[in-house]
Amino acid sequence: MEFKGKRIVLGKLGLDGHDTGMKIVARWLFEAGYEVLYAGLYNSPQRIVQMAIEEAADAIGISSLEFEHLYYANKLLEELHAKSLGDRIKVIFGGVIPKDDVQKLKQLGVNAVFTPGTRKDILIQGINDLFASTF
Amino acid sequence: MSASEEIATIYLEGERVPHFRSLSGNEYKRIYTQADWSDELSDAAQYPFTRGIHTDMYRKRLWTRRQQSGYGTPEESNERIKYLLRVGQTGINMDCDTGTKLGLDPDYPLAQGDVGLQGTSLCTYEDMRTLYRDIALDKVSSTLIIQPPFSALIMAWYLLLAKERGIPWENLIGTIMNCAITQLVGPTYQSNMAFFPFNLTLKTGLDVMEYMIPRVPRWNIVNINAYNIRETGVNAIQEAAFAMTLAADYMKALIKRGHDVDSFAPRMAFFCAAHIDLFEEVAKLRAMRRIWARMLKERFRAKHQKSMWFRAAIQTSALPLTAQEPLNNIVRATIQTLAAVLAGTQSIHTTGYDEAHSLPTEESQRLSIRTQQIIAYETKVVNSVDPLGGSYLIESLTDRIEEQIWELMKIIEEKGGFIQCYEDGWIEEQVNEARYMMADEIESGQRPVIGLNMFRDEDEKTDIEIFRYAQDMQARRIRYAQDYKKNRNQEPVKRALDKLYELTKHKPEVNFVEPIMEAVESKATLQEIFDAMRRGADFTIPS
Repeated sequence: MEFKGKRIVLGKLGLDGHDTGMKIVARWLFEAGYEVLYAGLYNSPQRIVQMAIEEAADAIGISSLEFEHLYYANKLLEELHAKSLGDRIKVIFGGVIPKDDVQKLKQLGVNAVFTPGTRKDILIQGINDLFASTF
Repeated sequence: MSASEEIATIYLEGERVPHFRSLSGNEYKRIYTQADWSDELSDAAQYPFTRGIHTDMYRKRLWTRRQQSGYGTPEESNERIKYLLRVGQTGINMDCDTGTKLGLDPDYPLAQGDVGLQGTSLCTYEDMRTLYRDIALDKVSSTLIIQPPFSALIMAWYLLLAKERGIPWENLIGTIMNCAITQLVGPTYQSNMAFFPFNLTLKTGLDVMEYMIPRVPRWNIVNINAYNIRETGVNAIQEAAFAMTLAADYMKALIKRGHDVDSFAPRMAFFCAAHIDLFEEVAKLRAMRRIWARMLKERFRAKHQKSMWFRAAIQTSALPLTAQEPLNNIVRATIQTLAAVLAGTQSIHTTGYDEAHSLPTEESQRLSIRTQQIIAYETKVVNSVDPLGGSYLIESLTDRIEEQIWELMKIIEEKGGFIQCYEDGWIEEQVNEARYMMADEIESGQRPVIGLNMFRDEDEKTDIEIFRYAQDMQARRIRYAQDYKKNRNQEPVKRALDKLYELTKHKPEVNFVEPIMEAVESKATLQEIFDAMRRGADFTIPS
């Protein structure tokens, strides 16, 4: 299985500015062979999806530390489905997300969720697995 | 290493820590003796204040218990503040939501998803009135957590509220954070550039300070936010040096505006972190007291003792806290709180054990207050001033850290000061390097974190209560903002906003606090006020 060159848009939605985790994850993904397209802060779901389309991304990674995860997961997935990209682009969430909400995010269609204290190897393996299942 | 391998190793080889370095990388020696330190110390309240700024410290008055609070609507936050005061909080620490901190009304599309999450949603004068219902502005001190330029509006609301209640401004006690660069999750470049022109941000911050100095003499005009700098992952030396050089920049700017250093320095204070390296944190805060005193006396030629007092509000750092086994965080926060107390600080926020899961619940906030009360009333550590003073280790560490902070300050000053370094992206580079190093140290186990990279229980299932927002809270706030703007006399609003626009465009040198007050009195909202200024500066924001 080859993950090298898979492209992941990494960003935050809305006003949440906590970017330490996202910057660390960006580096981890890069070191693992992923291409990281860093969208930074203050994105709307429309902007992130547009960027994913323009950059032919394979996944969107959203960092959420302000408890806005359910609100924006809904909006982001709506936008992806509206553009018929729900199956092609994987959606990953990471950040301060309570256990019960991890299940809720997955029911909405988020492919993977990572919470605080996730080790590098577990995170990379989890993301590799997302793509492995499509081969 | 798995838990069972770990145990096997411990029993075979004896349990020991991976190294003897401090969090900042300083090596702790095997033992400290007179050879490491044999100086004299001046008494507390004596220059350079190593041992504390007051003669009697906690014997005369305990530190202020000041838990940050704010979520949802102003009504909900008012209830939470009153709850905290009932269980023994002694000062208010008002936090507003991210939209408020970026000058956006709840109905702005990009702001809607964050309404009320990280603080109280505020967008009108009436919101402020609701937030402070039944709370005596001249009896309880308030810290208002907001940075420029939006601090000008929050301060205006607060002052107008005092006026409405007939409280003379000279009786108001509290602090406006008002730190232009570091409030939004540390000195992240993008967050300070995206929603307001940066120069105008700095300038409005100074306007607030200038406005407050003669009119509200007991009010602190700025709280240099070292805490948020530290929370990005930088070390104690960087935290202190960044904060000190930023403070120096503010002072230079106020002096340039013609103010005497002794007129404003006593009203400047700091907001620092207490991390988990107990001795290093105590040493850092003692060193900061000395640096501030020396900087004020020798460089800024202050004459009054009060100008030389380094006053610090402390929050226990959330970085050592884990989502895993959250009850362990109670132990960590207790040690961190103890560090702040042993260092002789002025107020403390003890971070909740549920920090890595949600905003604190009432129970968690009560526990934070109880932690402080137990330290204050039961442990006897408050009975003597600077109880660690004179320890070979503490004194030698204080000297060493002080020297390292001065060295880094010199580097920053040579590059043109903190603000210059920030604008040049140098600070961001330092911060990013620190973030990666922190992650690497946790990954490699060089920074042990129990329950996370050591003794991790993969099947851990601790259930704690999670704070939840009221279901329709965001919708209610959005509707409120829309209705407010619809149901008012529009003429005065337009006049006030036009004036702000014109001033920003043609006379940006005026002090903006009073024009903002006029706009508030006309019933303009938060975003309307700052949109008028944004238009005047020809500035667009993310949508």
